[in-house]
Amino acid sequence: MAFFSDITRGIYEDNPVLKQALGLCPTLAVSSSVSNGIGMGLAATFVLVCSNVLIAMIRKMVPDKIRIPIYIVVIATFVTIIDLAMAGFVPDLYKRLGIFVPLIVVNCIILGRAEAFAGKNTVWASFKDGIGMGLGFTFALLVISTIREIIGNGTFLGIPLFGAGFEPVMFFALAPGAFVTIGFILAFVAWLDHHKGAK
Amino acid sequence: MDFRMLLIIAIGAIFINNFIFSRILGTCPYVGVSGQLDSAIGMGVAVTFVLTMASAVAYVVYTWLLAPTEANLFYHLFGLAKPPDLTFLKTIVFILVIAALVQFVEMVVQKTSPSLYKSLGIYLPLITTNCAVLGVTLINVNEKYDFVECSVHGFAAGIGFTLALVLMAGIREKLQLADVPKAMRGLPITFIMAGLIALAFLGFSGLKIN
Amino acid sequence: MKEIVRFGIILMIVSIVAATALAAVYGVTNPRILAQKEAQLQAALAAALPGSDPASLKTVRENGEVLYYAAFAPGDTSKPMGYAFLARGAGYSSTIETIVGVDTLGHILGMKVLYQSETPGLGTKLQEVKYGDKEPWFPRQYLGKPAANVAVDKDGGEIRSITGATISSRAVTRAVNEGFARLRTKLGTN
Repeated sequence: MAFFSDITRGIYEDNPVLKQALGLCPTLAVSSSVSNGIGMGLAATFVLVCSNVLIAMIRKMVPDKIRIPIYIVVIATFVTIIDLAMAGFVPDLYKRLGIFVPLIVVNCIILGRAEAFAGKNTVWASFKDGIGMGLGFTFALLVISTIREIIGNGTFLGIPLFGAGFEPVMFFALAPGAFVTIGFILAFVAWLDHHKGAK
Repeated sequence: MDFRMLLIIAIGAIFINNFIFSRILGTCPYVGVSGQLDSAIGMGVAVTFVLTMASAVAYVVYTWLLAPTEANLFYHLFGLAKPPDLTFLKTIVFILVIAALVQFVEMVVQKTSPSLYKSLGIYLPLITTNCAVLGVTLINVNEKYDFVECSVHGFAAGIGFTLALVLMAGIREKLQLADVPKAMRGLPITFIMAGLIALAFLGFSGLKIN
Repeated sequence: MKEIVRFGIILMIVSIVAATALAAVYGVTNPRILAQKEAQLQAALAAALPGSDPASLKTVRENGEVLYYAAFAPGDTSKPMGYAFLARGAGYSSTIETIVGVDTLGHILGMKVLYQSETPGLGTKLQEVKYGDKEPWFPRQYLGKPAANVAVDKDGGEIRSITGATISSRAVTRAVNEGFARLRTKLGTN
């Protein structure tokens, strides 16, 4: 049971976006389409898992006072690796995500987990934590981008769902729609927690 | 000096492409600090300073150390056949520059205004992970701005960010007195409010500067 | 004092390891990235100059910068059948780059947007391909129009601008006009 809890924790109970309100910038900005959302989620998960593992490996050798700059160098290295890899292998997705790929380095989730978990736990536990938080981030992106793409563009993964006469509510595809959508989702999550607690 | 271009960059960064309401960069500290007006203003000033300095320093480092141009220092120092293309290191170099700048700002604020230092708390070092700061340096590279354009862009981005913070803080202070449904309290209603302000800012996209 | 030196050395070692690892990854991926860029450019040129022979395409440069491309019909290299140029214009939130192909009379043969970073959902529709199509719909409107003075509907022209992205649409159109004017000066006549 303990094997899975490190992973599932990140998906619901401690979901980095929905419960901890971390990683909001990319969530708001790339969630206008499902394929962008999933792409970003997977890229960030790669960085998160790699940096968690490496930081857990060197945690005993890193002097406490300079741990933050070292974490940053580690994370930035993996971000540059995934950046170069995406530019070379999935150029279309890479162009759509734009500056949000290098911005993964300042995704609070990754530095947050390095500081709160990988710096103090074993490599194996940090690996699982990275997977869990990464999947949680991807899950949140999936939920928000599904709503925004279906209502804001009338498509899912680029495939039109409604007839030609359907006029999508463009508001949801734009920045204001991102804020409002996440606002309602956070409210829904808070409401869910309330009712579970009341039982 | 092409003042028209600088004006376009400035108005663009403050209104038309406001970093928070249009580009969605810088939202993490945004929701954290916009609760009260004075800490919002203090944060805005600190971020504006970092944004301007980061834009300027990043430009210098990029042009003289990373970019494959005539000005590249490694090209001159090592007498290489042609200037090396180190632009792939920009993410890591920019974020380290930003981390150093924020450390510096932290020290200055601590010495000059301990009360502001206390009220900003953890959000001051968190400027390092503010998407807007790294974001503006990357946009400057993409748009190939020169030194003055970079600095103006950084400064204007900061003004826009401060404007967003102040607007939000003013409304949130009033919201304290309103009767908000339980599930909506705190973050949810803040986001919905931000969405409505963003909707208003969308109107600026019609602004035509000739 | 000793501590600072120790910290500095550790940071330097970490940075050097990181930079080396990155240089290695870069060495592997960069050829691929360059190949992608080249393939994109070739695809754009093919879309802008349909019917031309890609093998006989001539690139005209000045001071290392590409001025324009001269295209020839397959089998006939005596005189160009058309030209292609790069049109750049300031859009809403980015500089939009387009490859435009024109025939010898100045009519647009084809167009492909190479780079844009406009508002997602609005300006990004410049490159939107409708489900079932192969090519983006927006540039298709330019086919056959005179590159010297094509304009969007809001400016009295025939190009239907993207709803909510007038600035992006106008930027591309203006860039076409300006790019063509520059091409004419470089060619001397036409």
